[in-house]
Amino acid sequence: MAAMIRFAGISVNFGDGAGLRDIDLDVPEGALCVLVGTSGAGKSTLMRLVNRLVVPSAGTVTLAGKDIATRDPVELRRGIGYAIQSVGLFPHRTVAENIAIIPALLGWEKRRITERTDALMTMLQLDPALAGRYPHALSGGQAQRVGLARALAADPAVLLMDEPFGAVDPIVRRALRRELAAIHRETGKTILLVTHDAEEALELATLLVVMREGRILAQGSPLELTAMAADPFVRELLGGAGLPLRRLDLLHVRDAVRPGEPEAMAPEIDADASQLDALRLMLEHGATSLVVTEAGSAVGALRFADLDGRGRT
Amino acid sequence: MSRPALLPLGLGLLLALLASGGAASLLWPEARVMDTPRLLSLAGSHARLAVIGAGIGIVLGVALGLLVTRSLGAPWRRPVDSLAAAAQAVPPMVAVALALPGFGFGAAPTVIALVLYGLMPVLRGTIGAVEAVPRAALDAALAIGLTPAQILRQVEWPLVWPLLLPALRSAVTLAMATAAVGALAGAATLGTPIVIGLQMQNEAMLFQGAAATAALAFLADGAMLLAAGFQSRGALPDRR
Ligand SMILES: Nc1ncnc2c1ncn2[C@@H]1O[C@H](COP(=O)(O)OP(=O)(O)OP(=O)(O)O)[C@@H](O)[C@H]1O
Ligand SMILES: [Mg+2]
Repeated sequence: MAAMIRFAGISVNFGDGAGLRDIDLDVPEGALCVLVGTSGAGKSTLMRLVNRLVVPSAGTVTLAGKDIATRDPVELRRGIGYAIQSVGLFPHRTVAENIAIIPALLGWEKRRITERTDALMTMLQLDPALAGRYPHALSGGQAQRVGLARALAADPAVLLMDEPFGAVDPIVRRALRRELAAIHRETGKTILLVTHDAEEALELATLLVVMREGRILAQGSPLELTAMAADPFVRELLGGAGLPLRRLDLLHVRDAVRPGEPEAMAPEIDADASQLDALRLMLEHGATSLVVTEAGSAVGALRFADLDGRGRT
Repeated sequence: MSRPALLPLGLGLLLALLASGGAASLLWPEARVMDTPRLLSLAGSHARLAVIGAGIGIVLGVALGLLVTRSLGAPWRRPVDSLAAAAQAVPPMVAVALALPGFGFGAAPTVIALVLYGLMPVLRGTIGAVEAVPRAALDAALAIGLTPAQILRQVEWPLVWPLLLPALRSAVTLAMATAAVGALAGAATLGTPIVIGLQMQNEAMLFQGAAATAALAFLADGAMLLAAGFQSRGALPDRR
């Protein structure tokens, strides 16, 4: 798969040792790449390289095969969505005007702008009555949705999101996360996301990147990075003691099912459910095996010992 | 009608009445007083000088304030700020005296003194207002591809100018009060009856000049408050 964003030999020098060192990373087209790491690890810096808010002291960043250093920064930025925790809505513009800022700069027709704004507000479940409001009269969660809508307005192929769901309650956060997953699924955009929430990272990432002190410590799929062998710092960051359960949440029953008859009276579970759901069901019923069903009919059994792939050889 | 404007407007009208030739001759029956038409014409040229001086000071102060808050202008910020502070530290009377040799008698030294005097509050006010623009909004504006000129025009300026109104108001009011010193350089202002009064030991004229100057300053202040009241009705309640 072609790399949409490629960081090659990147260093950023902020002086006193801060910055980035020896960054090599390929973000494939259509990936949802999640950056995690302790505070000050360089996640935001890495992200800001892409739209040239940070200039590397060494190395190159390529976007769709083109070195971004050769591109006009303004034009480059208009093609990249950017949503940050502090949102940064323009206080003197209404919600609709905030969302429409880039389309307006790009000279879209008025009608097209209105349609786009309305569509985005619907997609992000923003009440249409909010369109004429000013940012000071929005809740934190609403403001973040507006920020996300603004980032999406000109339909950029690449989306940078720096802790975009900070400062909202866990329920809204989960809703926003689902919306993001849906947007990613439906649009195939390449997304770079920074989060401090390990659960969120594991759920969303197609590519997970762990950073520490300006370096990339590990990169791979959530399954790869949660495997037993992974670095202890990585494991700690991604969930510590809860990691085995988070890992089960990433695995499907389908992948652990074996043919044959389960014990009599075993509870049923759908093949598409997660293995965490299977474990929950086992605990609930005190069962050590489940009947796996697909479209209502039994296709095999799942035993406790098969969870997390341990049954396979 | 905005309430806070009523006080200065009322005081201004009262003082204007007291300054009139009729009132003065009632108060000082045996003194020679300046007649009202002459006083009005002096008030006209006084106000014109003050508005020109304040206007130039405001334009210059705002322009410099915007300039030194650009990344390119940042190195100029300290020198410009100290210059403006120094300009304000010079009493207007001294500024008029200093400008006299170069610009001759008349309006020019007065205007120069007023510009120098009004520059700093406007400059400081502009810098303060620019700095009050939310960092995150500027960051976002840059990140989503606004050019520096667009950021200034579309993000900073709309947020800056409402905050400038108090500084503009005090600049105009100060200029109205200070323009009287122009009489020292021979400019026709409401300082003229004061100078005549001092020379001829005529309390009535002294009073007329002082009261009329104060009246103009109050009226200008009230007018600015009124204008500010009208604008804030359309503006935003608060900012993040
Ligand atoms: N413009 C800058 N000038 C100097 N140092 C900077 C600059 N930006 C970031 N740094 C430093 O670089 C390091 C990495 O910062 P960065 O913001 O990328 O961290 P982060 O991983 O995003 O942290 P957090 O999770 O707290 O947001 C930090 O030590 C930070 O202080
Ligand atoms: Mg950060």
